[in-house]
Amino acid sequence: MPDHWSFVAAAYGLTAAVLLIYWRRLATKEREVEASKRLNAERSREPSITGHPRSEPASRTPLQQNQRPGAPLP
Amino acid sequence: MSYARRALAVAWKDLAVERRSKETLNALVFFSLLLLFVFQFTLGGDRERLAAVLPGVLWLGFVLSALLALGRTFLVEREHDCWEGLLLAPGDKSAIYLGKLAGNLALMLVVEALVLGLFVVFFDIDLGRALPGLLVVVLLGTLGLAAVGTLFAAMTANVRARELLFPVLLLPVQVPVLLATVKATEALLLGEPLGAVGHWVKLLLAADVIYVVVSLLTFDVVLEA
Amino acid sequence: MVKTLGWLTAAALAAGLVMAFGVAPREVTQGNVQRIMYVHVPLILASYVAFVVLAVASLVYLVRRDPAADGVAHASGEVGVMFVGLGIATGSIWGKPTWGTWWTWDARLTSVAILFVMYLGYLLLRGTIDDPERAARYCAVLGIVAALDIPLVHFSVYWWRTLHQPPSLMKPGGFTGSSSILWPLLVNLLAFILLYVYFVARRARLLRAQAEAIA
Repeated sequence: MPDHWSFVAAAYGLTAAVLLIYWRRLATKEREVEASKRLNAERSREPSITGHPRSEPASRTPLQQNQRPGAPLP
Repeated sequence: MSYARRALAVAWKDLAVERRSKETLNALVFFSLLLLFVFQFTLGGDRERLAAVLPGVLWLGFVLSALLALGRTFLVEREHDCWEGLLLAPGDKSAIYLGKLAGNLALMLVVEALVLGLFVVFFDIDLGRALPGLLVVVLLGTLGLAAVGTLFAAMTANVRARELLFPVLLLPVQVPVLLATVKATEALLLGEPLGAVGHWVKLLLAADVIYVVVSLLTFDVVLEA
Repeated sequence: MVKTLGWLTAAALAAGLVMAFGVAPREVTQGNVQRIMYVHVPLILASYVAFVVLAVASLVYLVRRDPAADGVAHASGEVGVMFVGLGIATGSIWGKPTWGTWWTWDARLTSVAILFVMYLGYLLLRGTIDDPERAARYCAVLGIVAALDIPLVHFSVYWWRTLHQPPSLMKPGGFTGSSSILWPLLVNLLAFILLYVYFVARRARLLRAQAEAIA
């Protein structure tokens, strides 16, 4: 029987491609999460403008979260 | 209220709602008629081919009707804002499962009897000696479909793309039941005795036991507040 | 720790590749196309590992409600579906020149196809539920139902038909192939199981980080 190297290449190539794509997606998502964590950490280090203790991030509404303290409401 | 009374109450409520509105029953009956006509158009002329595919076609009809019926299991609760009521119900919620299962089973068996009757009449099938065996297989198969179907209906009740997700989840899991029922029906319609399909019947029994027990144990988890 | 695992996995995969093409012989009847077996079989077996872990993790979650267990189940599901999908694809590519067809409804292929669709449904369920706690609960239930269904699928399909090679690795009496085929297969199997563990560890870690970022 002939060797059908093209089929072998297709099988190995497909496997390598899918696994690499998954691996890269993991890396990308990890970087995203790192970035958003650093952003949250920076925000919580800034002092509150009114002197009140900062509320938990989860208890803020999205509007509050996006708004920097002292900035006027849109 | 005792466990059994609660289960019966759920079943009775569902059947009463169904008897008054007949929404699901009507949809299923007309759907079955449609199936009948389509199969007649495609296969009616060739009696041999029809006989060969009949078991599969029959169960296809049963399964498609089952999807319609089971998918609507919690429709009433969803549409009339009673879902929270289910979640906050006191005591063992598996009673609700049994009630829903009983209601679904009753509805599905009625529709299946109708479909079978129509097939016998319009395709001139001689059930004869096959009937008792057939009844056993249909009962066990329907229980299998309904057991998992009721559980999955609860899981997909409040989910996005519910109509798409429910059959996608149910059908692969039900392949053993479908295989067993179709092969057993095929053998029975060819005149084999029930004993000849004993292994399929045992598989159906095992499946039914597994499905009902797991559903009873996990239904509380699905309906957690 | 995960990083070391990653390097170990890469080394194992490299070793497996070398063995599949360097050590393994040219097969007598099929020729070199048989080398596809060295990715196809490990992929399928590793996916079985994934689905077993998914079932156990689902049970653990239902009992202890530990989000870590749910993370393992979720990650296992993803990697398992990816591996079984690749397994089916490579099997199909192997089948075309050797059996003359891309697909056939024999017992083994049919069962694996059902497995693939079942666990794809698992991932779809995860995707459609927004509340993470509800998703964890529902998917745990589905994971357990699917796992209990596997023996039923196996028997029903097996009784229905058979064409696939009789299992060579797990036959009673042991493996009858030569060791120059066995060792590359085992090395690749180990490599893919390591790859599974690495992917699950990394994916579960990512899930944890994502959950913390929202909280």
